[in-house]
Amino acid sequence: MSYLGKRLVHVVLTVLGIAIINFFLLQLAPGDAADVLAGEAGTADPEYLANLRREFGLDQPMLHQLWAFLQRLFMFDFGYSYRHNMPVSTLIFERIPATLILVGSSIAMALVFGILLGVVAARTAGRLPDKLISLASLLFYATPPFWIGLMMIVVFSVKLGWTPTGGMSDIISNKTGLAYVLDVMRHLALPAITQAVFYLAIYTRLVRAGMLEVLSLEYIRVARAKGISENRIAYHHALRNAIFPLITVAGTNLGAFLGGAVLTETVFSWPGVGRLMFDAMFQRDLNLLLSILVLSSIFVVLVNLAVDLLYALINPTVELR
Amino acid sequence: MNGTNLLDIRDLRVSPRGMTETAILRGVTFSVAPGETLAVVGESGCGKSMASLAVMGLLPPGLERRSGDILFRGEPLPVDDNTAMRKVRGRRIGMVFQEPMAALNPVYTIGHQVAEVILEHEDISAAEARLRVVELLREVGLPSPDRIIDEYPHRLSGGQRQRVVIAMALACKPDLLIADEPTTALDVTVQAQIMRLLKRAQNELGIAIILITHNLGLVAQMADRVVVMYAGHKVEEASVQTLFASPQHPYTQGLLRATPRPGRRRAGGKPLEEIPGMVPAITDPPSGCRFRPRCPRATRECETVHPAVRQVGDTIVACHHPGRLEAVQ
Repeated sequence: MSYLGKRLVHVVLTVLGIAIINFFLLQLAPGDAADVLAGEAGTADPEYLANLRREFGLDQPMLHQLWAFLQRLFMFDFGYSYRHNMPVSTLIFERIPATLILVGSSIAMALVFGILLGVVAARTAGRLPDKLISLASLLFYATPPFWIGLMMIVVFSVKLGWTPTGGMSDIISNKTGLAYVLDVMRHLALPAITQAVFYLAIYTRLVRAGMLEVLSLEYIRVARAKGISENRIAYHHALRNAIFPLITVAGTNLGAFLGGAVLTETVFSWPGVGRLMFDAMFQRDLNLLLSILVLSSIFVVLVNLAVDLLYALINPTVELR
Repeated sequence: MNGTNLLDIRDLRVSPRGMTETAILRGVTFSVAPGETLAVVGESGCGKSMASLAVMGLLPPGLERRSGDILFRGEPLPVDDNTAMRKVRGRRIGMVFQEPMAALNPVYTIGHQVAEVILEHEDISAAEARLRVVELLREVGLPSPDRIIDEYPHRLSGGQRQRVVIAMALACKPDLLIADEPTTALDVTVQAQIMRLLKRAQNELGIAIILITHNLGLVAQMADRVVVMYAGHKVEEASVQTLFASPQHPYTQGLLRATPRPGRRRAGGKPLEEIPGMVPAITDPPSGCRFRPRCPRATRECETVHPAVRQVGDTIVACHHPGRLEAVQ
């Protein structure tokens, strides 16, 4: 328990650091919400701008603004988006399910297929299946994900008409129940695959390398000498040991998955947090932007903690201290 | 004599795949009778481990059996058929390896790994298997077996782990146990305990043991017969008494002179002799007798003609100039 306590203190300090650094980084960007609003309204009346800034609290000294921001953060009050005329928390929590579905399904896809392909590649090392898998993973590793996304839209949506080009569900038809789930899955396929392939490629290579190393170890030969089948040796004896580096890497990739969601959600107009963040950046909606950054950093840090705990759970040689 | 042998290896040749010229084993023949201990000795790289792996059908990838038969109880072992061999491995032939620290899977408990071999070969429940495992762990001399059964390997010492590996190898009461340098990685005191354990298991279960080693002290204590290998050939085979009393092959004689023996201190307190030179690379073997470049007795004949295996007294030897040690000195 003292381990967990120590780690939770780390979590709080990390999140605080991220919040402060991001606050100053965003101050460095030229222009503020008032500029954008005034630009869109077509006026540059100094009076109007000053009014807006006073209303948003943008006229306060920077340290005052930081202090106010941190105070609100500790109360889990994320403030108000003047751009959307809505509380930030409502805005974000509305969008979270869509992003979780996208990120969750792409991570799951990358892990499941990465493990399967990696195991197959390692067991056929040097032969045709391994060569095909290795070539494909190199290809996906080297191709920019947004390009894969656009090409998939061209092929599967435009040419073949199998999937919609974007969005999360059909706007016109009001589907419910199973029909709605299937509709979402149809919309989910392309963005999830787009986000998964890059990590799928990494995980395949990682599992292949790990399996090759473990399969050459003495305890695998001992297992063979016991008369254990090759399938059981691969999945029961070798994979359980080869999977540890994958868990570490996948845990640290989680932040990258959220970052990747910005791109994928934009390409596929997926109504998630990434898209919201992207828009907030252009609209200089700093309250919203900062809140998203802080929330996602809390999420990433907590998941990393969970991964470390999971690691200790499945690897008996690791003891938490 | 075939009818009574447990294992017959006849003219076994093992080569790297696709390389017809080079060979790891160049026609090795020996047999094991039920219940006896056969020691296979030789320097590292002479092929003694490969012979045992060939018996198990577990040659490393890239090596293949080119020719030769391996008979178990007079029947050919299906060494090229992995599925058929799985019924032999662990059940009819158990194997103990050199590195106990690396021989157990770190993520599974001792009990899981020993029970696995029983559950693989016998139709019994997990609960029954667990009882058997506790009994086995007790038999191999592990302290408080009902507790250690749930431990992970990293909690055990090297000697304890080797006992677990032996328990796995003996779990299904095999006819033959292949022990490939079972004590090389262990402390001397632990070595003696492990060898005593193997000897006791042999007496109780009546199993035959192939003991692969380069420790001639172990051979003298444990073995009934000895096969000496050099560069993929069997160079000498004799009973343990005959071999130690009158070694015929100059390589065997060199090995014996390179072994420290208390009580038989060499005159003048001379340091131990070593065999000059090195084992030849398998890709570039010398012509004629493989041992010729290191042999004090080499003649013109040894350069051109590879010596055939022949009987000299009670010994089988592959040398043009076999003879007693004293004859050379």
